[in-house]
Amino acid sequence: MFKIFVTVLFLLAAANPVLANDTLEISLQPDPANPPSPQMGDWLKFHSKIENHSSNDAHGVVAWISLIQVDPGKEQPVDLEDWSAHKAVTRSVLPVAQQVGVEWPMRLIQAGSYRVVISAVDRETAHVMTSPFIGFQVRQMPVVESGRILPVAFGVPSLLLILIIWRRYRHRGIFG
Amino acid sequence: MLIEIQGLKLDLDGKSVLRDVNLTMEKGQIYGLLGPNGAGKSSNISLITGLRQPTAGLIRVLGLDPAKESLGLHRRIGVLAEQAGFYDWMAAVAYMHWFARLYGIQLSAKEISLALDQVGLDAGNQSAISSYSRGMLQRLGLARALLHRPELLILDEPTNGLDPRGRRDIHDVLLDLANNHNVGILLCTHLLDDVDRLCSRIGIIAQGHTVLEGSLADLLGIRAAAQRYRLRVTANAVPAILPSEITLLSQSGNWWHVEIAGNARPEEAWRVLFDTDFPVEEIHREGGGLEDLYLSVTQVDREAK
Amino acid sequence: MTNPIILIARKESGELLLSGRGITWLLALSIVMSVLSLLLVSNTELSLLDNASVVYMVMGTVTALGSLLAVVLGTDAIAGERERGSLWPLLLAPVTPSQIVLGKMGGQTAGWIVMYLLSLPYVWAVGSSGQNLAQAVIYLALFATPVVLGFGFFCIGLSARVHHVRTALLTGLITLMLLASPLLLGPSLRQSGIGKLFDAVNPFSAALNTFDSVVIDSQTLAVQSSRLVVTLVWLVTTALFAMRSMRKIKI
Repeated sequence: MFKIFVTVLFLLAAANPVLANDTLEISLQPDPANPPSPQMGDWLKFHSKIENHSSNDAHGVVAWISLIQVDPGKEQPVDLEDWSAHKAVTRSVLPVAQQVGVEWPMRLIQAGSYRVVISAVDRETAHVMTSPFIGFQVRQMPVVESGRILPVAFGVPSLLLILIIWRRYRHRGIFG
Repeated sequence: MLIEIQGLKLDLDGKSVLRDVNLTMEKGQIYGLLGPNGAGKSSNISLITGLRQPTAGLIRVLGLDPAKESLGLHRRIGVLAEQAGFYDWMAAVAYMHWFARLYGIQLSAKEISLALDQVGLDAGNQSAISSYSRGMLQRLGLARALLHRPELLILDEPTNGLDPRGRRDIHDVLLDLANNHNVGILLCTHLLDDVDRLCSRIGIIAQGHTVLEGSLADLLGIRAAAQRYRLRVTANAVPAILPSEITLLSQSGNWWHVEIAGNARPEEAWRVLFDTDFPVEEIHREGGGLEDLYLSVTQVDREAK
Repeated sequence: MTNPIILIARKESGELLLSGRGITWLLALSIVMSVLSLLLVSNTELSLLDNASVVYMVMGTVTALGSLLAVVLGTDAIAGERERGSLWPLLLAPVTPSQIVLGKMGGQTAGWIVMYLLSLPYVWAVGSSGQNLAQAVIYLALFATPVVLGFGFFCIGLSARVHHVRTALLTGLITLMLLASPLLLGPSLRQSGIGKLFDAVNPFSAALNTFDSVVIDSQTLAVQSSRLVVTLVWLVTTALFAMRSMRKIKI
């Protein structure tokens, strides 16, 4: 199912620049400040422009960002919940020849190969319009060092246990 | 006057707990407050100590209104409740130090040691209070109640859990406080022997009201109409030589049952008997004492309900 | 002469650190923290969670466990002493009910400080290789403190009003579960109208949302002001409840 979805999305993106009957033209560019070799925890930003290049106003425009993991054997759409709070934009009307610029920031949560693409629909057009996709690779980063947590996880309860044993053998006259 | 209570009334959650309690107590007096379980003794103590406010009636303790001047009152009274609880993880010395400081007193180690010694506890014992026996806890509670040298001591069953020697020790401490230090002691107890030995005045509460109050001697005098005794006499005793105040009721070997007439004072009758060199070895009172008095007045009150 | 409030607070904190009951509670809480941290570490090695999320979860757990400890200590503060018979000597000492309750509150504060200090190694262990560790330590102190102490004060008030520890404990735990439900419910369930309203007035949600905002989204204190107000209102309200309840204490 995921593979079909990814394939459809790629087919749509591959048909770029624009289908003949698309009302909206969508561009997508990475931010120049994006790290060249990002790793988990880094922030990336993408800029897109959605332009009405038809002869009529576009009504009820909704554009959204999709992220797809394309690692062999792990192909799947990514739930953006942890990646970004900026998942979609809407415009009630996009007049003829007008454009709207959108920034899409995201935090890189998981290592892997990804494609990002912006899709849009309006009320008059019967199909999804997409931007070209941009691919990027996220490097693995050791997130939590188990070398730290193990001494703490065993050390703190052990210290308290020692305290319990110690208090059995000492005088309790602390208020004297 | 240490305590003055007149017509005291207390309602709790719509129920009448106390309805007519009267009590008067002087300095240096040991007052026995008696009554069956649930009679209202603890409620009475909560009013005397200012923990509760009475619904009606007059109450003055050390000249203060307990409910309105409780802080001043608490500095001058010492209380040992029946179910006295302790911070059982502390040692006794630390516990005494802590309470002393709560009363604004800085006691030296020697003073703490003396206070514990007074009730028969060893200040050198550093074990936690949780390891104490019931008797040791009673003694510690008494030591705590005494540490700020109160003018009035309120004790609820202070000799509970003590062995006979421990009871006697506590009696001696209380008598010393009353006789030599002029401390008033309000003693709530079920042990009539304690009352008999210690108290000069008693009050009996039943069903939330005072059924009897007065000096022990007077109250027992009132009840003296039928004072019966058991005498153990030697073999050569002859009934005919008994003084006129004493009537022989029955005879069983060396044991004689006798009665002293209601209008005669027992101590006078015995003096006459001894003056005649009557060969008596033991005298036991049978009924007619505090126990009889207590049972009869609480029974009358129960039947009246 | 030592202030009675300080004396009572010292006694309360001494009970936590020196009595078997108190240390056992701390030991139990530290074991929970250890198990949770180890589970989170094994989770993050699969890259399902990033460092900041783990720190956020640890902060939420510390707040919940601190609140649990506060509920236990708070319900024991008056009702427990009453059941053990040690309340009478305290009430009959020359101290006011307000001094007693303030001393008990001091004991609660000491308990939370101990719990907070115990949690710091865990926060450091899971968060030292990532972002916003310092913020995590500061905001945990700033926001968890009023939430945790509020639960403690609330339960002190409860324990003054009821006769038995069990009744107070049950009521305290139900309140804690209700207010801490955002920790258990997913974010989507909190997006409904009622969920949003509950989040807006719930001090526990305010603390959790702040931790999320600060540690995961790197937002500033200015963004958290309304949430800070919610937690402080909770703290003040529960403190007043405790003081008022102590004046109506059941003997």
